[in-house]
Amino acid sequence: MSDPIRGNGARHEQTKGNPLIKTIAPYTPLYLMLLPALIYLTVFSYVPMWGARLAFMDFSFVGKHTFVGFKHFATLFGSTAFGSVIANTIIISAMKIFINFPMPIILALMLSEVRSRRFARIIQSVVYLPHFLSWVVIAGIFINLLALEEGAINRILVFFGGTQFPFLTQGTSIRWVFVFSEMWRSIGWDSLLFIAAIMRIDVEVFEAAIADGAGTFRRIFSITLPAILPTIVTVFILNLGFFMNAGFDQVFNLMNDAVLSKVDILDTYVYRLGLQNGEFSYATAAGLFKGVIGLFLIFGTHFGSKRLTGKGVW
Amino acid sequence: MRKPGVFHPARSFGVGTVLNYVLLALLGFMTFFPLYNILVVSLTGPAKIAAADGLSVIPHDFSFATYITLVQIPKVAKGLFNSLYITAAGVLINMVLTCLAAYALSRPKLPGKPFFMVFIIITMIFEGGLIPDFLLMKNLHLLNNYYSVILYKAVNAYYLIIMIRFFEEVPLSLIEAGKMDGVTETRTLVSIVLPVSKAGVATVSLFYAVFHWNEYFRAMIYLTNPDKWPLQVVLRELIVSGDKAAFIGALNYLKYEVGAAQVDMKALKAGVIILAVLPILFLYPILLRYFSKGALSGAVKE
Repeated sequence: MSDPIRGNGARHEQTKGNPLIKTIAPYTPLYLMLLPALIYLTVFSYVPMWGARLAFMDFSFVGKHTFVGFKHFATLFGSTAFGSVIANTIIISAMKIFINFPMPIILALMLSEVRSRRFARIIQSVVYLPHFLSWVVIAGIFINLLALEEGAINRILVFFGGTQFPFLTQGTSIRWVFVFSEMWRSIGWDSLLFIAAIMRIDVEVFEAAIADGAGTFRRIFSITLPAILPTIVTVFILNLGFFMNAGFDQVFNLMNDAVLSKVDILDTYVYRLGLQNGEFSYATAAGLFKGVIGLFLIFGTHFGSKRLTGKGVW
Repeated sequence: MRKPGVFHPARSFGVGTVLNYVLLALLGFMTFFPLYNILVVSLTGPAKIAAADGLSVIPHDFSFATYITLVQIPKVAKGLFNSLYITAAGVLINMVLTCLAAYALSRPKLPGKPFFMVFIIITMIFEGGLIPDFLLMKNLHLLNNYYSVILYKAVNAYYLIIMIRFFEEVPLSLIEAGKMDGVTETRTLVSIVLPVSKAGVATVSLFYAVFHWNEYFRAMIYLTNPDKWPLQVVLRELIVSGDKAAFIGALNYLKYEVGAAQVDMKALKAGVIILAVLPILFLYPILLRYFSKGALSGAVKE
């Protein structure tokens, strides 16, 4: 630290000594400020990454773990549970992406057609709220909403002459509960990006279209949608990148034994095996498998997105 | 000239316009009502609680009995305290680490900046996973220690990057002027950069605060002693098990011997949900102002 006061190395002549040290020495205070975060990430992010090699070992509480190669992966791929866990992950994730993806776009379009800004703002402030609630709370809300006898939905069903339905404990309905609770939580918040994209459109284009006699739908399909298409593509690709995350917190808080075979996803499987049954190595292998697939998806979508829209995931 | 901004549709009373308003109002109602209904149930008094259901709109026999009972249940009182403690300590550590690092990384000429950015971004993409995380806590002897939860995601790469963006917007001239006067980097951060980026600091601390307040899973697996559980874990136990005796606790059951039968599980569940949501509802107006800005600044990359 030759000159701590004028901490800008670029201004100094590099006359003697190691040029690298000369360049970075004035930045020592900045490096020291960066250091705590780097140490934290090393310990809490990088050490567990290195720790994931446990997938190739047999865990032992005392002494060293023994290297066993792909043994746990072989067990994993050979197990009957694995097939259904993968299937559940894919089905739940796909249902949520394909059914819920268009919703925030439709909401953004609807909001942009509202003349009263005040009305739009009120609706927006209401629909953003669930985004800030934890899945424990949302599970509580949906369990209340879908309860037999007293739940609002079943009350309405009975009122209209229908019969009660145990939505949360039936294999036929539980995945739809995931779809709708996810929609309830994120339709508002996810519309934010699309609303921002719509607001960036030149107002004169709309005015010109109206002057030419274009109706509302004509305007939406010929101006708004093409203008926000890059945003739509980017968000969709991003979603695909996180396809393997079928939503641990949601499934974990809404699942029950009656529907386990329909809702058990990779993440809940890892939790059950690892932390409840104590099969650390096997669960790490299952987790690593998910991580590797996810990695391929993220890199795939990153480069796909770069090619399509010029924008990557990062 | 490009004229971006809010497009104002023409005044119209056509079927489409009316339908649009009706559908939006319906969506607003469907979002709002389930939570409102829980508030109503939690405020319904013991005399009418049996009749309260998922469609109740008004709390009959209005009373705070549910909440008075709840705060006397040690689990709930401790849960509230634990949640507040974890959130406060967590945000403090988050902000110190994040601001220090973001300041260093927002200096345009910092040698090695690309390397550090990659180092940080990697933590967004790669994860050790649940079991390696758990074993790390075990090896650090942090299991059943508040710090296992407080330190979880103490540096969140997304929020760090948002913070860097905010700091980069501080005019360089301000920072350089301080340098001329011989001010240290830390002083520059504290007395120039932070006051100028108040919006950024507010946004990122709110991000972190909501994250800590809502976190339940790490607390559930790391904190083996239920006395250390935050409210979210207590709520989860209540919702999943739904066992009144276990929730109130055997000792307390005696304490409420007159009231125990009247303590309605439905109202207690509703009350805990509201307690778990209350801080967020209080912060919501501020959240709305900053979060949308922050979320967009993080998402819209140049």
